[in-house]
Amino acid sequence: MMRAVTLLLALALGLPVDTVAADRIRVVATINDHRLLVEAVGGDLVEVDVLARPAQNPDDLEVRPSHMAKLRRADLLVINGLDVDAWVEAVVVGANNSRVVPGAAGRVDVSRGIPVLEVPTTKVDRSMGDVHPAGNPHYYLDPGLTPITTGNILEALARVAPQHRATFETNRQAFLTRVSASLAGWQRALERFRGAPVVVYHKEWAYLLARFDIRQVDTVEDRPGIPPSPGHLVQLIRRMRDEKIKAIVVSAWNDRRTAERVATEAGARVVLLAHGAGALKGTETYFDFFDYNVKALIQALE
Amino acid sequence: MRRLIVVCFAAVVTLAGSPASAQDVESLRREVEALRKQLQSVTERLQAMEARPAPPAPLPASPAAPVAAPAPLAQVPPTTKTESAAPAPTLADYARPHQPFALAERRGPGQLLFDIGVSTDLVANLTQRNVEKARAGTFAGQENRFFPRSVELGLFGQIDPYARGVARIEVGESVENGERGFQVEVSEAHLTLLTLPFSTQLKLGRMLNRFGMLNQLHEDDLPQTDRPNVLTRFLGAEGLIENGAELTWVAPLPFYLEALLGVFTGDNEDAFGRGSLRAPLVTARVRTFFELDDASAIQLGVSAASGETSEERRSSLAGVDLKYKLVPEGWRHPLLTLAGEALFASRKVDVRGDSDGDGIGDVGGTRTRKRWGWYAYAELQPWQRWALGFRYDWTQYPTAPGREWAVEPYLAFKPSEFLRFRLAYKHTDRTHRVTGPDDRGSARVVDEILFQASFILGAHPTDAF
Repeated sequence: MMRAVTLLLALALGLPVDTVAADRIRVVATINDHRLLVEAVGGDLVEVDVLARPAQNPDDLEVRPSHMAKLRRADLLVINGLDVDAWVEAVVVGANNSRVVPGAAGRVDVSRGIPVLEVPTTKVDRSMGDVHPAGNPHYYLDPGLTPITTGNILEALARVAPQHRATFETNRQAFLTRVSASLAGWQRALERFRGAPVVVYHKEWAYLLARFDIRQVDTVEDRPGIPPSPGHLVQLIRRMRDEKIKAIVVSAWNDRRTAERVATEAGARVVLLAHGAGALKGTETYFDFFDYNVKALIQALE
Repeated sequence: MRRLIVVCFAAVVTLAGSPASAQDVESLRREVEALRKQLQSVTERLQAMEARPAPPAPLPASPAAPVAAPAPLAQVPPTTKTESAAPAPTLADYARPHQPFALAERRGPGQLLFDIGVSTDLVANLTQRNVEKARAGTFAGQENRFFPRSVELGLFGQIDPYARGVARIEVGESVENGERGFQVEVSEAHLTLLTLPFSTQLKLGRMLNRFGMLNQLHEDDLPQTDRPNVLTRFLGAEGLIENGAELTWVAPLPFYLEALLGVFTGDNEDAFGRGSLRAPLVTARVRTFFELDDASAIQLGVSAASGETSEERRSSLAGVDLKYKLVPEGWRHPLLTLAGEALFASRKVDVRGDSDGDGIGDVGGTRTRKRWGWYAYAELQPWQRWALGFRYDWTQYPTAPGREWAVEPYLAFKPSEFLRFRLAYKHTDRTHRVTGPDDRGSARVVDEILFQASFILGAHPTDAF
């Protein structure tokens, strides 16, 4: 009845009616990286939408009614967790979809089981900037964690559609095989830079750098989320000169002018990495995304 | 851990039961050495699993432990394998009452099950002497003062799998009959049932009504230091805060369309005031939203409210609102925000006259008083920390003849998302003079400098469009 009313309303207003096939699982992921993982596991059985566009910073997304409209029809909500997408709760409240409310079967926190990095070991407060009390949430930048993340996604999809569990497992294994082979290649390519020091603008690259044994020795921001003070920049330039640090890693929403200024003064290069799949041109697929970042790191460190 | 205990126990038993020959001592020494190595190996593995190396951060800016490389791909066991190895639940497990929390969030030791935030809004007002005497400024009775407008303790979170709850206690300086003091009140206390059928939700309790665009916002969340004159004239200085229920429905359409129906007691004395469910205040709102492209979006809303005044006469309000935002790709804040709202009021009032010539006013019927007003503002935020804006405001008085207009340019500085300062100049021009208590002064034109400092401790609400 409700569907008929909706259909009539949409037709009366001349709007496009829902085109998702009835037997496909509607999934909404908070970030694009998880969309790619859901598609890898779910294959043709899923229709995946994403809330934060690839170029947006998922850390402080402004909640919009269009996000609620996407979630309104979802069977499964895939969240990153570790506070990076805590805004999703406002989307859930506005979406009026009981399938994805906290505690429902139709949602999954992909961070479950992740060995979380940079978990604060001292008391934290806001004088330290925008710290994440649960640890660094950017684990999706480590391809080595895909067995855990895809495992969580598989379990969630199988809760929603248990009859397709075998297909999901087959898809997942095929994806993991491909990731494993690619990861070996990326590690070989970066082997000669093991232990190389870099400066990052914001502390979001810990998982990526740790995977390839590249050392994050300092940050342009002296406190996360707060623009750097001149005194900190002076110290940073001095340290980069002294320790011959060659690269400053930035993402698209960092203040590139500040990073460029520091790099020029310190005789280093600014390397723009994709903070997520699709964030930069040519990084739309999971493998292109890591290919790009690995190549960019090599160019900067050579 | 169990393995460690077994190893230690074996070591103790072995050591305790040995005779003391030189050969045995040598043998024991080797064994102890082997056990020590084994213990060290187990300890290292435990540390690697916890991935939290010990050294504390040298600077407060780096509270986190140093980065440890995660396990390589091949060594990370798939979650499915772990889960499939778990013992199957018994019949008793199924019979035991349980809550489906486990599917959702991680819970750490000592973690609060709800969020707490404190928001504080400090305001300063500087104006002419006659305005202060007449109490004709934006914050009546608080002219030429620096005061805490609101200190609000907010508690919010999931009540159970079916509902969310919000409770906000507010303290603020106020002036009553010339007496200055602090007033404590419950600004919000409501629950929202999240799992109702047909994409509906029910919000019950005391709440900021979802009438129009700004009425839903707390003082520290307003786009300017003060509420537009049209809203304070029609809904009072604090806005429409009511006790009752709101039912919402989100249409299953490709774009957002939300419909809302509310029933309240109608306590707001500026617009209604009957304060009884026998003649409830009924509200309705429809809101839609369109992404025009990747950078810009627009929201449209239509609101209505109808109730009775304390004289038991019908009072109705209607409103339209519009908001546009431009957020260039890759920006973390909007470059341009344009918004506006218009309100229309229709109120039955008694017509009084001395029809029988006894010198006492009699009610000689009723008539309908129709009034309206509107405001619009534009805000430009070229840098993350700085914004500048301008608001224009025009309104008739809902219960008296006359009208007023105001302009308010302002500058905002936001060092972080938890701290904000605003400086504004406001010029208000009225058709009638406002006279203060005991005829101490009057004012028609008001010039004010407004300063605001707002900060948040703890949890803060998500930024919404």
